[in-house]
Amino acid sequence: MTSPSEHSSIVSLSGVGVTFARRAIRLFRPEQPFWALKDVTFEVSPGETIGIIGHNAAGKSTLLKVIAGIISPDRGSIRRADINVSLLSLQVGFLPHLTGRENALLSAMLLGLSKRDAIERMGDIIAFADIGDFIDEPLKTYSAGMRARLGFSVAYYSTAELILIDEVFGVGDENFRRKSAKAIEETIRSHRTVVLVSHNLATIQDLSNRVVWIEHGCSHSVGPPDQVIKAYRQYQIDASRTHG
Amino acid sequence: MAITQFVTVRPVSINEATLPTMTNVLSNAATPKPSLRLSAHRGPAALLSRRVIDLILFKTYAELKSEAQRTYIGVLWWLIEPIIFMSIFYFLFGVLFRRGTEGFVAFLLVGLAPWHWIQATTMQCSGAIIANYPLINQVFVPKFVFPTVILLTNTVKFLVVFLILLLYLSLSGDGPSWIWLQSFVVLGTVLLMIAGCGYLAAAVTPMLPDIRIVIDNVLRALFYFSGIFFEIDSMPETVRKWMNLNPFAMAIGDLRMVLIQHETPPIWHVLVLAGFGVALAALGLTIMRRYETRYAKLPV
Repeated sequence: MTSPSEHSSIVSLSGVGVTFARRAIRLFRPEQPFWALKDVTFEVSPGETIGIIGHNAAGKSTLLKVIAGIISPDRGSIRRADINVSLLSLQVGFLPHLTGRENALLSAMLLGLSKRDAIERMGDIIAFADIGDFIDEPLKTYSAGMRARLGFSVAYYSTAELILIDEVFGVGDENFRRKSAKAIEETIRSHRTVVLVSHNLATIQDLSNRVVWIEHGCSHSVGPPDQVIKAYRQYQIDASRTHG
Repeated sequence: MAITQFVTVRPVSINEATLPTMTNVLSNAATPKPSLRLSAHRGPAALLSRRVIDLILFKTYAELKSEAQRTYIGVLWWLIEPIIFMSIFYFLFGVLFRRGTEGFVAFLLVGLAPWHWIQATTMQCSGAIIANYPLINQVFVPKFVFPTVILLTNTVKFLVVFLILLLYLSLSGDGPSWIWLQSFVVLGTVLLMIAGCGYLAAAVTPMLPDIRIVIDNVLRALFYFSGIFFEIDSMPETVRKWMNLNPFAMAIGDLRMVLIQHETPPIWHVLVLAGFGVALAALGLTIMRRYETRYAKLPV
C-alpha cells in the first residue's frame, strides 16, 4: 500500500467500513448488519482543513468517531500518526453537584488533558466562559446559558493537534454565540489540522482546503471545495428531478 | 407536497465519479507541541499512564463529593445506610430467629459489612460502561476507568463502615488487638476479588444485558450461602464441603478469624483468594481492552 502522500498524511483511511449490530451477541438467527460506513478512503495532511459533506445519515458523524478513535472500523483500515485527536464535544462528563471549576477540570481531563495542563489552562477557560464568581458554585445553580458557555470554553481549550468538529456552532446567548463561533472559525483558519462536518455548504466552501463528499457510507468524491460542492449540488438537483 | 432537496438518492458506486485526490499539504504548518493524550490505538502501557491515574482519582473524588452533595445529610448516609442494612439482619436473625446468642451480633456484623461492599460494587460495575454510554460516544476513555472509579468509591465508603465496626468490636470487648492489622491483608484479598467480579461484570454486561439479572441472582444466592448469618460449620458435613469452596465464604471466615477469634488465617487462603481475584480481574480487563472501541457501537 503506497500512496505518494503517505508520509505527509497524519490520518489515512482506506476502505473504512463500520457496522452497528442491533444486538451485540446473536444467539439464534444471524441478522443483516447495518453498515453506517461502507467504503471511505481519504487522507488528512497536517495543517489542512477537510470539509465533510453529505446527506443526513450518510455516516458523517460515525466517520468523525472513527477518526477520533472512539470506535474502530469493521473493515478497511485507519492509520494515524502519533498525534492527539479530539472531537469537539461540549459539557463532557459534567456533574450537577460539583462546582464549575471542578467540572471544568474533570471535563478537560476526560477530553484528554493531563491534570497539570488542565490546571494551567483553567484561567483561560474561566475567563473565556465569563462566569465570574459563579465558577466556585455548584453547576446545578447555573443557567443553561452559563453551562453552555463553560462547556464550550473547556472543549475549546482542550483541543488537540487534530480537531474534529461536527457543525460549526455557537452556543449560549447572542453575544457568546458570536464569540464562540468566531473562536472556532479562527481555530479552523489557523495552522491546526481540522476535519469539519457541516450541512452548511457555504461554511464548508469558506473554511475547507479540501472536501470529502460522503454518500451512503462511501467517499463519493474527494477534491477541491469548488469542484466537489458543485458536483454535490448538481447531484441533489438531479436526484430531486428523478424523484419528482 | 413540498419539494425537498434532500430526497432519497440512488446508491452510487464509489469509483463512478471519484475525482482525483488533491493533496493540499501545508508542510511547514505549525502544529501544537504534542502532549500526552490517550488513544485507543496506543499500546496498553499508555492506558495506565499518569494521566489516567489522575483521571481515576479525580473522578473518584468527584463521584464521592457528588454523592455526598446529593442528599441533605450527605456523608452521614455512608454510615446510616449500612447501619440500617445491618440492623435489619440483626433484628431478623439475631432477635427473631436466634434470640441473640452471645457474640452473634459481632459475628453477623463482620459478615455483613464486607458483603455490602462486595454486592454493591459488583452490581454497580455491571452497569458501569452502559451508564457512561453518552460519554464514551463523545471522547475516548479507557473503559476500565469506569469500574475502577466505582471500586474506589465503594472502598472508601466501606472503610468508613469498617472503622465503625472496629469501634463496635472494641466497645463490646472483642479487642482491639494487634492481630487486627492482619484484617487489612484479608480485606486486600476481598478487594482483589471484588475487582475481579467488577471488571468481569463491567466487561460482559454491555454485550449481553441479561447478565445483569444473572449477576443479581448469583449475588443473592452467594449471600445466603456465604455463611453471613450462620456458621458454615453448623451445616451437615456434605453441605459444608461445598460451601467452603465459595471464595467469599472463605474470606468472610478469615475476617472473623482475625477480628473475633484473634487468630491468623492460613496463608494459603490469602494466596488462593488473591489468585482468584487477580485471575478474574485479568479476564475482565482483557475483555474490556479487546472491545475497547466497540462498546461505543453497542445498542443500548
